[in-house]
Amino acid sequence: MNEEIAAKIKNMLVERLRIPEDELDYDSELFGEDIGLDSIDSIEIIVGLESLFGVDMSGSGKENFQSIRTLTKYVEEHKED
Amino acid sequence: MSDSIKRCVVTGLGLVCALGDDAASCAASAFSGKSGIKDVESFGTANCYSHKGAEVPLMDEQLCSSKYDRTTLLCIKAAGEALADSGLDLGKEDRRKIGVILGTCIGGAASIDKYYTDSHEGRPADSGDILRMPASAIANNVAVHFGLDGITANIVNACAAGTMSLAGACDMIRAGKADVFVAGGCDSFSSLAYAGFHALHALAEEACSPFNHSNGITLGEGSGVLIIESYEHAVARGAKIYCDVLGAGVSSDAYHITAPRPDGEGQMSAIRRAARNSGVDLSEIDYINAHGTGTSKNDEAEFLSLRTLFGNRPDLAVSSTKSMNGHCLGAAGSIEAVLTVEAMNRGEVPPTIGYSTEDIEALKEKSGGIGFVANEKQTKDVGIAMSNSFAFGGNNASIVFSGEPRVAARERNMDPVYITGIGEVTGTKAEGASGYTADISPEVFKQHGVKTAFLRKLDRFSELVLLSGIVALEDAGIKVDDTNADDIGIVIGTSDGPMTEIVNFQKLVIENGTENGSAFMFPNTVYNAAGGYLSIFTGIKGYNITIANGFQAGLQSVMYACETIRRGDGSIMLATGADEMTDVESELYGNAGYLGNGRDSGFELGEGSVTLILESSKSASERGSKKLAQIAGYGTARHSVAYGKAEGTGEALARAIEEAAADAGISASDIRTVYGFANGSKTLDEIFNEAVSKIWGNGIEVKNVRSECGEARAASAALSLARAAKEMETGEGEYSIALSYGAGGIYSAVVLKKA
Repeated sequence: MNEEIAAKIKNMLVERLRIPEDELDYDSELFGEDIGLDSIDSIEIIVGLESLFGVDMSGSGKENFQSIRTLTKYVEEHKED
Repeated sequence: MSDSIKRCVVTGLGLVCALGDDAASCAASAFSGKSGIKDVESFGTANCYSHKGAEVPLMDEQLCSSKYDRTTLLCIKAAGEALADSGLDLGKEDRRKIGVILGTCIGGAASIDKYYTDSHEGRPADSGDILRMPASAIANNVAVHFGLDGITANIVNACAAGTMSLAGACDMIRAGKADVFVAGGCDSFSSLAYAGFHALHALAEEACSPFNHSNGITLGEGSGVLIIESYEHAVARGAKIYCDVLGAGVSSDAYHITAPRPDGEGQMSAIRRAARNSGVDLSEIDYINAHGTGTSKNDEAEFLSLRTLFGNRPDLAVSSTKSMNGHCLGAAGSIEAVLTVEAMNRGEVPPTIGYSTEDIEALKEKSGGIGFVANEKQTKDVGIAMSNSFAFGGNNASIVFSGEPRVAARERNMDPVYITGIGEVTGTKAEGASGYTADISPEVFKQHGVKTAFLRKLDRFSELVLLSGIVALEDAGIKVDDTNADDIGIVIGTSDGPMTEIVNFQKLVIENGTENGSAFMFPNTVYNAAGGYLSIFTGIKGYNITIANGFQAGLQSVMYACETIRRGDGSIMLATGADEMTDVESELYGNAGYLGNGRDSGFELGEGSVTLILESSKSASERGSKKLAQIAGYGTARHSVAYGKAEGTGEALARAIEEAAADAGISASDIRTVYGFANGSKTLDEIFNEAVSKIWGNGIEVKNVRSECGEARAASAALSLARAAKEMETGEGEYSIALSYGAGGIYSAVVLKKA
């Protein structure tokens, strides 16, 4: 996993979605009970990743949104350098 | 003990929206199926996926020559028409008995945009814009413009506000607090709402298509105003009467901050309550002006609600006029009320437009045998009509109009209402700090069972309200469950609402473009989000209203809650006064010139939220509640001054005190302790001292909570009453009174009696 991308994503989630930093690990289940993201949050994640990495996740499968790790993987695979 | 319910009638109409600049021209368009939806002109939408809006093609100066925010200007235009239509001769009327109650969602968003755009682009920001920002200013502006000195209120329950304000007018007339209300709603077109709905992907690309393609809303702007007055007053002055306002119903979904409950339960609850309070059977309703926004979630839930309650009624006409004038948010319900009254008047029903032949076939499938009116108006005698509004925060409102009076469906229950629990969240002043900040860390919430997953969505204002609400419920020993959820309600009073979230959202839009609004923040920019979160967390499904009306809104919420119990819309009410303080409020109050040392040079800002549990006699005895004090009476009086200007004499305050004492059935001299509102602003302190010495001389004990928590605005007002109630429980005095002031010269007084 690309640590730099993961750290940027984590920071984006903390800033945009007010998730407490100390409660957010790379494997935290984002849409699970603890963090509790919902459909409005997923819109923000899509906008955030587009602006950070130019990667468009709209329409992509739920499995990519599970955790910072899966988001990082998706960005790594779709990012155009 | 009970009072009979007074008849309330509509005697004047005023309307401005994309369809026209008066009620007649709007109705002519609406009933002929003409759309007012065009490309947006107020601001750039080049990078947005949608460009449609339903704007009023009049510049601010064409609406009114005064320098108010556009939301106020739209309302002045409609209110002027409604007052003229009503034939009220203001020269002959007692203007202290004519109030103004308005619904708004975004308040002064256009002025917020202007202030921060000026600042962003290096121009000097106009401090005059600061006073044009809050929703609190609007009803007062309208009252000042027309020289009205009755009660004011701004109902800020987002897209249900325009319906709830009409219900509020009737409630206050029935409580004897006014004879006449200028009642309605208003909202201007704004980059704030456009960016927000754009971020949520809730805007339709083309004109909205309610109950049809349901692919999003089209935003609009405008104002609808109805003159609502007691039947006796209307008859005495020989007024023409359009119809009766029979009753209304308000409910909470307790489900989601933006999405309606898919099962329609909350919507149906509001509709059933409205019918019950109106004394009508659902089968008697001839026309429903539906909420019909055109989002898939709304339309699916609303189809389901209507099919469930009214299925197989081809004689019931239903339409969404938003298909022509867009979604005017806080104005929507009042605009639709005007069109509904027009429908009764004309014997015609306006259509929902935009259906193709295939669409009409599909509608037959979805409508469940109800007579949805598509594309063309329908000729129909409308004896009883309903208008529905459903809002962010899960607030639902329904109101019933009738061409014929009805026997009063219910009476006001005048049994005692008690304070049976208190939740206080207030600030403290750190060494060297300039204000009083509350400790609302996640740890505090965890102690009360609020998890991160829920808490992180909330803005600061919502956090304050949630915490005091939970603490108050705990203090009163109330557990919300299926047996009582519908019977518990929420009333929140605030001066400035979630101004921090609004400003921060707007700043991002200014910096990043209308196409880049934050979907996460947007739901919190509506003033009633806090009440929505409180309902979602606790499961409260009853009445739910938020009033923005200056500092005194913290006491006005208690009066409103008490009336809600008296008219049977709830047995237990959470009455809250709340205001937040961040850098945003500190800057705005500082730049407007109000802050000082708290003694003689201006006030020190604070924040907080204070919730009082109000409970009916019956509920309190059944639960064996501890009774801190009884709400014995209350009064409100205004001496109109421009919003933000502290001037005047103690005359209006004295009037509020006398009215509250009379309401309690006592003389002011029976009161032992007064909780005052002096805060270090010279003029305000003088007004307070003048009224107190006029009424009591030196013979009363004066207390004040501001030395403890600063000027926490609505929270300080509510805290005054909370402290008076706590002292009542253990102290010796029989009566005490809490007083408060609101910008624009409104004064409130609540008398407590030992329980």
